[in-house]
Amino acid sequence: MFPTKTFFDSQGSRTTPPTAPSRALEWLWQNLRDVKHPHILDCGPAHPATINLLLKRGAKLYISDLIALAQEFDPKFVRRLGKTTTFLTDAFLENIPPIPPDSLSVIACWHLFDLLPHEAIPGLLTRLWSYLRTGGLLFCLLREPNLASGAGTRWWLDSLMTFRSDPETNLPFRYPVLTNRDMERLVPGGNFKTFLTRSGRREIVAIK
Amino acid sequence: MNEMTSRSSSPASGTTRQTVLGQTVVLKGELSADEDLLIEGQFEGTLSLEQHCLTVGATGQVKAEIKARQAVILGTLTGKVAAKEKVEIRRSGHLVGDLATGAVAIEEGAYFKGSIEILRDEPKESPRGASPRSAAPPSAAPSSAAPRSASGTSG
Repeated sequence: MFPTKTFFDSQGSRTTPPTAPSRALEWLWQNLRDVKHPHILDCGPAHPATINLLLKRGAKLYISDLIALAQEFDPKFVRRLGKTTTFLTDAFLENIPPIPPDSLSVIACWHLFDLLPHEAIPGLLTRLWSYLRTGGLLFCLLREPNLASGAGTRWWLDSLMTFRSDPETNLPFRYPVLTNRDMERLVPGGNFKTFLTRSGRREIVAIK
Repeated sequence: MNEMTSRSSSPASGTTRQTVLGQTVVLKGELSADEDLLIEGQFEGTLSLEQHCLTVGATGQVKAEIKARQAVILGTLTGKVAAKEKVEIRRSGHLVGDLATGAVAIEEGAYFKGSIEILRDEPKESPRGASPRSAAPPSAAPSSAAPRSASGTSG
C-alpha cells in the first residue's frame, strides 16, 4: 500500500456529485500501460484525490492550477487597446512550473480551453506540446454547444478511469464552442481522438 | 511567543526537543539542527534537519531548500523540500516548489504549485530479469485499447 494519506472535507450537507466513467481515460491508461513512472502535468486545482491516485500509479506530478487563473480573468493577462482586447499568453504561461522539454507522458487540461479566449489557445498548446514526449498525451474536455450549465472548474479523479466535478464551480462560458475542426487546426499534427459522452461534453486525447 | 526558543516535551514515546523561530524572527542563511523546528517567522536560505521534523507554522514564511525527515506546512513555503518520510500541506498551507518525499498528504483547500516526486526504494533488477519489452518506451499507437463504441475519431 502506498503510504499517502488524504484529508477530506467532511461537509455533510453537500451531496457527492456522480462519478463519470471516461472512455478517454480508459484509452489513455491503456496507452500508458507500460510506462511505470509517467510524468504528468495537471492544469487543474490540486485535488487531493487526484494527487493520491496519480502518485499511487507511480507518477511524478507537476501541478499548476491554470484553470483557477483562467476563471479569475485576471487583468494582468489582458491588454486593452481601444476596442481590441489581447490575451497575454506569455504572462499566463509563466504560471507553469519548470518542466523539462519532451518529458511528460500526460497533460490533463480538463475544461481549460473552454475558459480561454480562442486566440490564447495556439500559444498555450504550443507550449504544452513542447513538454510532451513523443507519444505523450494531452487530455482535455470540451463542451458541446448545448451545454448550458457552464464549464466545471473543479474536476478530480475518482479512480484512474472515472472522474467527478463539482457543479457548484460551473462557470458560464465566455467564448464560442471549440469544434473538432478547430481542434484539427490547433493540435500540432492534428492527431487526436474524440470521445463523445451524453453529458454535454467531448473528451479529447491529443497524441504527440 | 518567544522569538527563538528551544523547548522540550516528554510524550509517552520519549523526549522531543523543538526549536521555535517566533513570529518576529527574520533569519537568512544556513540552518541545521538535531531537533525539530517550528518556524512562525520568516526564514530564507537552506535548512537541514535530516532526522527531524520541520513545521512551517500558520504565520511562517519560508523561502528555502529543505532537507528533513518530515515537513508540515501550515504557512507559506517556496522552495525545494526533500523529506524522507512525509510532507503534509495543511488547509492553510501555501507551497510553491518541488517535493521529493516518501509520502504526501495534502488537505483540501491547501495551495500547491510545483512538482511532487515520490522517493521509492526500487528493487534492484537482476540483469537476467530485466525485460527489454518493459524497458522499451510505449508505442504511441494503441493496440487493443482503441475506443470501443467511442464515438468519433479524428486525425
